[in-house]
Amino acid sequence: MGKIVIEPLSRLEGHGKVTITLDEDGKPKDVKLHITALRGFEQFVIGRPAEEVPRIVPRICGICQTAHHLASVKAIDSAWGVEIPEVAKKLRELMLVGNMIHSHALHFYFLAAPDFVLGVDADPAIRNVVGVIDKAPEVAKQAIALRKFGQSIVEAVGGKAIHPVTGIPGGQSKPLTEEERDALLKEVDQMIEYGKNGVELIKQINEKFMDQIKTLGVIDTYYLGLVKDGKHNFYDDTLRFLSPDGKEKVEFKPEEYLDYIGEYVVPYNYVKHPYYKKVGYPEGVYRVGPLAMLNVCDEMETPLAEEYRKEFLEIFGFPANQSLAYHHARLIELLSACERAKTLLEDNSITSDDIKTDVEPKAGNGVGVVYAPRGVLIHNYETDDNGIVIKANMIVATTHNVPTMEKAIQQAAQEIFK
Amino acid sequence: MIQLCGCSGCHISLLDLHEKLLEVLPNLEIVYGPIVADPKEIPEGIDVFLVEGGIRNEHDEHLIHEIREKSKIVIAWGTCAAYGGIPGLGNLYKKEELLNYVYSTDSTENKGEIPSEEIPPLEEYVKPIKDFIKVDYTIPGCPPTPKMIADAIIALLNGEEPKLPTKIVCDECSRKKENVFPETFKRTYEGKPDPERCLFEQGYTCLGFATRAGCGAKCPSAGVPCRGCFGKTDRSLDLGANAANVLANAGEASLKIPDKVALLNRFTLPDALINRKAK
Ligand code: SF4
Ligand code: SF4
Ligand code: SF4
Repeated sequence: MGKIVIEPLSRLEGHGKVTITLDEDGKPKDVKLHITALRGFEQFVIGRPAEEVPRIVPRICGICQTAHHLASVKAIDSAWGVEIPEVAKKLRELMLVGNMIHSHALHFYFLAAPDFVLGVDADPAIRNVVGVIDKAPEVAKQAIALRKFGQSIVEAVGGKAIHPVTGIPGGQSKPLTEEERDALLKEVDQMIEYGKNGVELIKQINEKFMDQIKTLGVIDTYYLGLVKDGKHNFYDDTLRFLSPDGKEKVEFKPEEYLDYIGEYVVPYNYVKHPYYKKVGYPEGVYRVGPLAMLNVCDEMETPLAEEYRKEFLEIFGFPANQSLAYHHARLIELLSACERAKTLLEDNSITSDDIKTDVEPKAGNGVGVVYAPRGVLIHNYETDDNGIVIKANMIVATTHNVPTMEKAIQQAAQEIFK
Repeated sequence: MIQLCGCSGCHISLLDLHEKLLEVLPNLEIVYGPIVADPKEIPEGIDVFLVEGGIRNEHDEHLIHEIREKSKIVIAWGTCAAYGGIPGLGNLYKKEELLNYVYSTDSTENKGEIPSEEIPPLEEYVKPIKDFIKVDYTIPGCPPTPKMIADAIIALLNGEEPKLPTKIVCDECSRKKENVFPETFKRTYEGKPDPERCLFEQGYTCLGFATRAGCGAKCPSAGVPCRGCFGKTDRSLDLGANAANVLANAGEASLKIPDKVALLNRFTLPDALINRKAK
């Protein structure tokens, strides 16, 4: 009996390792995914004035920091019973789609594409973003432009491209100026074009790798996503579970999440395993993120992306259960985020300075949910009379996916060692 | 390059050079960097190692020694590596408290069970990397700006020493100062600050006067006070102590500021003169 340890897992954020225990015949007996780092944010936001927390929690992740900033400030607004001005909501949504554009572009072009562009058998020493720049400069150029556009949106609206600061209880601390808006608007059509190119590119790549896509990491799970009136939504509204066979949809509001989502502590992982409570653990493990979002929604909220969603389901079936179809789904969302950015930037009220309402801290309990680039993100805090945090719970996007990632790696290991 | 107890934001900030990456990257060979590249072993004979994140667990500690042995120059990249950063707020609690809390939140099913198999145990407290090894250079910031990272890399490529700004954030801040001292302090959600005037003089707890320049005063420009993410300047010993000194001039009013320890040491607690909660 032997053991294979893969560490560090590369080209992803965070720290992980995989252990594969082999039986006498060299077949995988037990495959585990371990997340090997813990920082303890849920503990160390306790005692902090709530308005400071949106400035602390972005450091959970340097890639999807904006999503943490926004889920956090939404949770406090809700704990203190504040309704923020419409323009502030639009600014926050714009900030989030900016983050989505940067992160989705990063994930596909910088982290995943080296495998496709250079081939999975290429020398590990060149299988990275520098290799992509060498081998496919036009693709690299568009990837860089998309990331830059996304980060410029976050910087203009959020004050900083990484770890933004403008979300405060009651609204936003800074309006978007007309000059900033005009500069972004000038770029947006080009970005939609690049977004379309991205989807076309993944379609070509998929054709080459269809064998692997249809066999590796194919698992049936529940899916969790965010919808508004049934439509795909990045920023707001209703959580929706979809059953593995695609027949059952269950909707609930963010503040009801504890009735639907539980987390199970497993001994070999710093990250807890979340599951759908009505089904139980481990049968109720579920996936979040682009694949889940496309499965869960009835339609996309933007027109070009909606066309591509229909095509996507034709290729992969419903619900699409192939882990490698995540890339395709992600690129459709990237396009949708560019389209959504355009709608928001063309909204005349976006440069208004009616962005903040008066707030009084009070004792309360609030939940803030957004769709982060890796999937649904939940922040929940309780505050005392002075607005100091006394209790906190966060279920971050990647966490939801950890048990199902483990499942997908188990399935892939079985296939590969067959 | 590597990420220890960080958030990968310092790595992302390097990528935020955007098209300038095309100029910088070809001059470098990335021999190790799990976030962007696949090699699993840290090779021997590295010229420059960029270390993101401080030391939180035994694995981090093990790695930092290996990194030192195999590299000519080690850079503390970002505020976490240099001063502990935000994860350092964990030092306000004992390790057991922190673990017990995290594994008994409202959504936890089997509350109070603490994972311990095949994962590196936590150290008692978060520490900056210089508590373990000799660090050659520091590039502070949470994250450092893309320009600061590029300048440091280019300096090293030219065989020069990377240089850091020596001024304070107030020197980069365009808000007008009238040299008045606030009589009372406000929390950030209170009122709407005058967009032209110094936030500190309006009573907001801006720490720009105690913080190293380099960011271009991003937070005050966006209407919120500086929280000190670039750390102290060369001339001061301790950011928190320095800032406390200034705030103390307000007398009674400064005593009413909530959560002073975590405010004054938001990013630098593990490197502060008093760097943890007394037992
Ligand atoms: S310094 Fe800031 S950006 Fe860098 S790793 Fe630490 S938290 Fe992330
Ligand atoms: S607003 Fe802050 S950074 Fe700007 S001058 Fe005042 S104290 Fe300094
Ligand atoms: S203003 Fe202060 S907190 Fe904001 S980025 Fe600059 S140094 Fe960091």
